[in-house]
Amino acid sequence: MKKLLHVCAAGAVFLASLVTASAADAKLVVAMLPKSKGNAYFISCKAGADKAAKELGVQLLFDGPTDSNAAKQNEIVENWITLGVDVIAVAAENKEGISTALRKAQKQGIKVLTYDADAMTDARSFFVNQATPEGIGQGLMDEAARLTGGEGEFAMIVASLTAANQREWQKHVEARLKEKYPKMKLVAVRPCDDLKDKAQSEATAMLSANPKLKLIMAICSPGVPGAAEAVKQAGQTGKVKVMGLGLPNENRRYVKEGVTDSIILWNTGDLGYLTIYAGVALAKDELKQGAKTLKAGSLGTFSIVGDNILLGKPFIFNKANIDQFDF
Amino acid sequence: MKTYFRELSVAAALVVVLLALAVFAPAFYQPQPLLSLLTREAPTLVVACGMALVIISRQIDISVGAQFSVCSVCAGLLAARGWPIYLVLPASAACGAFLGALNGALVAGLRLPSIVVTLATMVTLRQGLNLVRQGEFVNLPDGVQWLGLGQTAGQWLIVLTALGFLVAFGLGLRHLAAGRFVYAVGSDAEAARLAGLRPQLATFLVFVLLGALTGLAAMMNVAQSPQVQPLSGSGLELKVIAAVVVGGVAISGGRGNLWGAFAGLLLLACVAPALTHLHVEAYWEKAIQGAIILLAVVADGLRSRKGGHR
Repeated sequence: MKKLLHVCAAGAVFLASLVTASAADAKLVVAMLPKSKGNAYFISCKAGADKAAKELGVQLLFDGPTDSNAAKQNEIVENWITLGVDVIAVAAENKEGISTALRKAQKQGIKVLTYDADAMTDARSFFVNQATPEGIGQGLMDEAARLTGGEGEFAMIVASLTAANQREWQKHVEARLKEKYPKMKLVAVRPCDDLKDKAQSEATAMLSANPKLKLIMAICSPGVPGAAEAVKQAGQTGKVKVMGLGLPNENRRYVKEGVTDSIILWNTGDLGYLTIYAGVALAKDELKQGAKTLKAGSLGTFSIVGDNILLGKPFIFNKANIDQFDF
Repeated sequence: MKTYFRELSVAAALVVVLLALAVFAPAFYQPQPLLSLLTREAPTLVVACGMALVIISRQIDISVGAQFSVCSVCAGLLAARGWPIYLVLPASAACGAFLGALNGALVAGLRLPSIVVTLATMVTLRQGLNLVRQGEFVNLPDGVQWLGLGQTAGQWLIVLTALGFLVAFGLGLRHLAAGRFVYAVGSDAEAARLAGLRPQLATFLVFVLLGALTGLAAMMNVAQSPQVQPLSGSGLELKVIAAVVVGGVAISGGRGNLWGAFAGLLLLACVAPALTHLHVEAYWEKAIQGAIILLAVVADGLRSRKGGHR
């Protein structure tokens, strides 16, 4: 038994030396951890990450739990620490849970950053932030104004009247409205409890109660297809525009039918691309605390606020581009 | 007249709300939006029929929302695989009946309290579904929405089917021996047993029936849009139980009927669209619904203290 252990230990040392040797004389190894690796959202992140890795000539390891499993994320990070990768980029399932493992990685000299969902701030160097509430609110309101020609009545569907992120987004939508679009009027805000069915009922009532309504904006993802179905059933397609925050796959049908005009989210491919560029810059010591900008290949320069690298303006999915995205 | 005072007062409240809307927000009465809203409530009515039976027999099932979600997703996945509607519909009902039988077996067979059993199945089903679907929508093929009939015909079919269930169960509960059996079990299970009835069997069967109706209702909901949200039906249990209780079905069993439950359901369902039409802040919705439920429960409490449990 003891002999077996010795053999194993020797084997492990040998393997580790192989890994470090290959890493030293050739490519940087960047390990990217999604919340769940089968999720189409993260698969599209990986597409951008692959592109960046190829451009930069680094090796990309992409692994994650098959379902959103915080414990499994820790295991994978531990494995990467043993393997001695150069950079770990994490979309944290559990903010506190993953941070212990990430601090350990940092102690071993591995550069750590987060993307999509942040860990504790002391457990990573930078967070690649896909969207600030301000960016989302302004993006939504600007697009609503563009669709209505900057005037007329519109209504909002929110997940709930109390959820923190919803309140924050709504606040920025209303601030932008007040500041830039005096001819537009918000006539109703209704909650849908994150249910598509309830959003549909609410939108149906909104349409008959507000005959001058020109647009419905849903800021929770099930609200957008719910509102679209209501507009379609009311025979108001084209007359009342539908737009909001959501995922392309949940809205594709309505966008193609012309019921829903715009879906607003960030470009997930760009998020993966930027994350890899940031990770490599960090490993090469080109990106340091206090930096104000980061250059990321073909996407140009991104601004950094504190330790947040901002992906910038939200991305608008519409009839013209929605088929390029599958998540 | 006096026997049905409770049901009549709910109906009167409903009439007052509808009249107020006619005066202050006549736009509420446009035919198309009204038909759409009724169609949206039709599945809830079908589940309420089953829930009324369960509550009259002095049990409760808080897992119906989760059952509804599971049946919706199953029906959606089968339809997406190309199963024809006439097979998907019975499959959805069978799925619901199976889940109901599970609850029924635990409650009737092991004599466990139904609130705990169905709390457990609710959490299990809901989390299981989250694990499998991770919130991802099921996209349905063309021809599932409105069962391929077109919007208006499909909406009428769904509404009339729901009303058909209401009438059938409403009359059956009053006039069939099996219906009276449910009241007997809910009023006094021991007396029912001594009278030669089998209360445990009745309990098992009402759970199965509720499950089957929930499966059917899920299909009636799936047929209203081109995609299924796995979360659909969350909160349905509260909506249905509230409708039944507001409608005068005693939570302590043995009393109530479906006509009252129907009025209760419409009354609660009116609140949200009425607020939208009257341009009142949405914050009031849940508060008003809560007040209606509280009023109903207090009314029941006062009645039973006067001694008239019937």
